[in-house]
Amino acid sequence: MSRRLGTARRTWLRGLLPVLAVPALVLGGVAAAAVPGRPNAVREGSAAGAARPVSAAACHPKASSLSPSGPPVVTSGSFMARIRDRGFLIAGVDQNTYHFGFLNPVNGRLEGFDIDLIRAVASALFGDPDKVEYKAISDAQRIPAIVSGAVDIVAHTMTITCARLQQVDFSSVYFDAAQRVLVLKNSAARSLAGLRGQEVCATAGSDSLARIAAAGAVPVAVPYWTDCLVLLQQGNVAGISTDDSILAGLAQQDPWTKLIGPPLTDEPYGLGLSRQHPDFVRFVNAVLQQLRADGQWSASYARWVGTPAPAPPPAQYGG
Amino acid sequence: MTSSVGVAPDQRARTPAARRGGWRSRLDAATTPARLRLLLAVLVVLSVAWGLIAALAASQHGSAAADVVAVSEPLSLDAEQVYHSLSDADAAGANAFLAGGLEPVAARQRYDADITQAAVRIEAATALVGSSAARTELPGHLTNQAPAAGSAVGDDLAILSAELPVYVGEVGTARADNRLGLPLGAAYLREASSLLRGMLLPAASDIYARENGRLTSASAQATGFPLIAFALVIGLLIGYVLYRSSRWLARHTHRMVNYGLLVAALAGAVSLVWLAGAFAVGRTDLLHAQQHGSAPAEAFARADVAALRAHADESLTLIDNSGDDAYQQDFLAQQKLLGPGPGTLLAAVQASAGDGGSVAADVRAWYRAHAALRAMDDGGNHAAALQSALAGDAARTFGRLSATLSKGIDDHQAVFAASARGGEDAFTGLAAGMIAAALVMAAGCAWGLSRRLAEYR
Repeated sequence: MSRRLGTARRTWLRGLLPVLAVPALVLGGVAAAAVPGRPNAVREGSAAGAARPVSAAACHPKASSLSPSGPPVVTSGSFMARIRDRGFLIAGVDQNTYHFGFLNPVNGRLEGFDIDLIRAVASALFGDPDKVEYKAISDAQRIPAIVSGAVDIVAHTMTITCARLQQVDFSSVYFDAAQRVLVLKNSAARSLAGLRGQEVCATAGSDSLARIAAAGAVPVAVPYWTDCLVLLQQGNVAGISTDDSILAGLAQQDPWTKLIGPPLTDEPYGLGLSRQHPDFVRFVNAVLQQLRADGQWSASYARWVGTPAPAPPPAQYGG
Repeated sequence: MTSSVGVAPDQRARTPAARRGGWRSRLDAATTPARLRLLLAVLVVLSVAWGLIAALAASQHGSAAADVVAVSEPLSLDAEQVYHSLSDADAAGANAFLAGGLEPVAARQRYDADITQAAVRIEAATALVGSSAARTELPGHLTNQAPAAGSAVGDDLAILSAELPVYVGEVGTARADNRLGLPLGAAYLREASSLLRGMLLPAASDIYARENGRLTSASAQATGFPLIAFALVIGLLIGYVLYRSSRWLARHTHRMVNYGLLVAALAGAVSLVWLAGAFAVGRTDLLHAQQHGSAPAEAFARADVAALRAHADESLTLIDNSGDDAYQQDFLAQQKLLGPGPGTLLAAVQASAGDGGSVAADVRAWYRAHAALRAMDDGGNHAAALQSALAGDAARTFGRLSATLSKGIDDHQAVFAASARGGEDAFTGLAAGMIAAALVMAAGCAWGLSRRLAEYR
C-alpha cells in the first residue's frame, strides 16, 4: 500500500514538470522573439519615456551595461530620488540559495553575497544598508518582477544573456560562474553526459534546464534550488545541474554530494534592472565600481564563497 | 412451530368432500370444527407475520439509529479532528520557521500534540470503518449504500495512515536542517506543507463530507415513516381480526371470554404500543440530536476549516514573501466563504446554532488584525507583520476565534451524543421483544382455539 502511494506521490511531484518547463524554456531559450505576444508588449513598454531601446546590433552579454559617470550620486528628478522619497529600496532576491541569498534560519535574516550587493546599493541611496524591502522570488519570477516594476532591482544569481537583454537591463558583471553537475558521492557519473536518460533537476526559469535537455538527460523543474537537493536526497533525481556557485552552496548542506564534470558554460552574473531607468543602471554600476575598488567585493567573496578571493571580474560597458 | 403442532393432528379429520371442492365451497360446507381449524391456522400465521414485520421494522430503524450514533457521527468527528490537528500542525511548523532561531518550546509542544491527536483519530476511524464493514454483513442492516461509502473512506484512511509518517519525517528533516542553519530546512518544510495540503487534508475533508452525507441519510432512515407505518397498519389489522374472531367464538361456543385469544390480543396490543412508542421517542430524540447537535456542529466545523485554511495562508504569505500573492488571494477567497454575511458559513452557524454573534465579533477582530498585518508587510515593515502573526494582534485574535469555533463544535457534539444515544436506546431490545410478543400471540391463539376444538371430539 505504502509503495503504491509513494509512487503516486512522486508522479504528483513530477506533474509540475510540464507546467514549469514551458516558461523555463521561454525565458532561458534561444530567442525571446520566438514567443508570440510577449516581445510586442516589451517593445511597447520600452518605447515610452527615457527607456533604453533594444539594440539590434550584435549582443555582448559581458559588455552590455551602461558606464557610470563618476561616484554614485542621487540627482533630483532621477529614479534614485523617487526610491529615496519612498523610503526604502525594493529588491527581488533568493531566500533559498546558500551563500548568495538565503534566509538564515538561526537569526531569521536574509544573508549572502547577493544580499551584500543590495545592502551596498541601499547604503549609497540612504546611507543605511537596512532600508530595503526584500521580496523573495523564484527564478521564474525574476524577469516578470523587473518588467512589471514590482521590484527596483534583482540580485538573484542571474546570468546575463542576450535573450534576457531583450526584456531587462543588467549591471556590469559581478561574478563569473560556470554550469556543472552535482551528484551523490556514490554516483558513477563523471559529467552531465554520464546522466543521459536519467532525471536531472534545475529550477523553473533557469537557463540550466534547456542545457540539461540538450545533454540528453530528462529535466525536472522545481521552484527553488534547495527543492532540487530534497529530490536528490530522496532519490527522485540522479543529479542537479546549474552554476557551480549555487552547487557549491548545496554541497555544503550535504557532505554526501560531489561536484563533477568540466565547466560547461560561462555564466556572468549581473544585477537585474529595468530598461525604463538607465539612470539607475549607471548608479548601480557606480556602486559596483566602488565595491571593486575599496576591497568590499573581495571581503564579501571571502566571507561567502571562499578564500583566497580572486580579482573581481573587470567592468566592461556597452554604452 | 406452534402452528404445525396444533394443526397436524387435525389434517386426518378432514372430510373427502371438503378436500375436493374450492376453498369457498369448503368453508360454506364446513362444520364448526373445520372452521375452527381454519381460524386457528390463519391466526397463527398472522401472529407470526406480525412478529416478522414488527421485528424487521424495529431492526431497520434500530440499526439506522446505531449507524448514526456508533459509526457516521464518530467518523465525521474523527475526520474533522484530523483536519483540525493537521492544519494546526502545519501552522505551528510554519510559525516556528517564521520565528527563526531556536524553535519556541510552546510551538514544538503544540505540533507534537497535533500529530499525536491526528494519529489517534486516524486509528480510531480505521477501527470504526472496520467494525462498520463487519456490521453491514449482518442480516437486517441497511446494506444499500454502506459498502461503497466504506471503501472510499477506507482508501482515504489508507492515504492518511501512509502519508502521515512521511509528513512527520519531512518536518523532522526540516527541523534538523534548520538547527544547523541550512536553508535546506525551508525546502523540506515546503515539501511537507505541500504534501499536507495536497494529500492529507483532502483525504480528511473527503471522509468528513462522505460521513456527514451518510449521517444525514442514516438519520433520515431512522426517523422515516414508510416501514413503521406499514407495520403499524398490519398490527391494527391483526387486532381487528382477533376481535372479530373472539366475537365469532362467543357466538358459536356460548362462552363470553376465550382466554387464549385474550392473551394474544394483550400481547399484540403491548407490542403495538411498544413499537409505536419506541419509534416516537427515538424519532424525537434523533431529530433533536440533528437539529440541536450535529447540524450546528457541522456548521461550526465548516467555519473552522475555512478559518484554519485562511490562517495558514496568512503565515505562508509571510514566509513566501514573494510579491506573488497567491496565498493572500486564497485568504480573501476563504474570507468570502466564511463571512459574516448572507449565504456564508458564519450565516449557517448563526442559523443553526442561534447565537453566532460572538463568532462574528471574533472573526471581525481577526480580519482587522489581518488587514493591519498586511498593511505593515506591504509597507515594508515585515518584522512588525511577523510579530503580529507570531505573538501580536493577529495571533491573539485568531486564537480567540479558533477557541470559539472549537467550543461550538464540542458543545453541540455533546448535545448530539446525549440525544442520539437516547434515540438509539429507544430501539434497544425492540426486535427481540416483537418476536417474543408474536410467539405469545401465536401460542395464545393456538391454545385458545384448540381447547374449543377439543370439545368437539
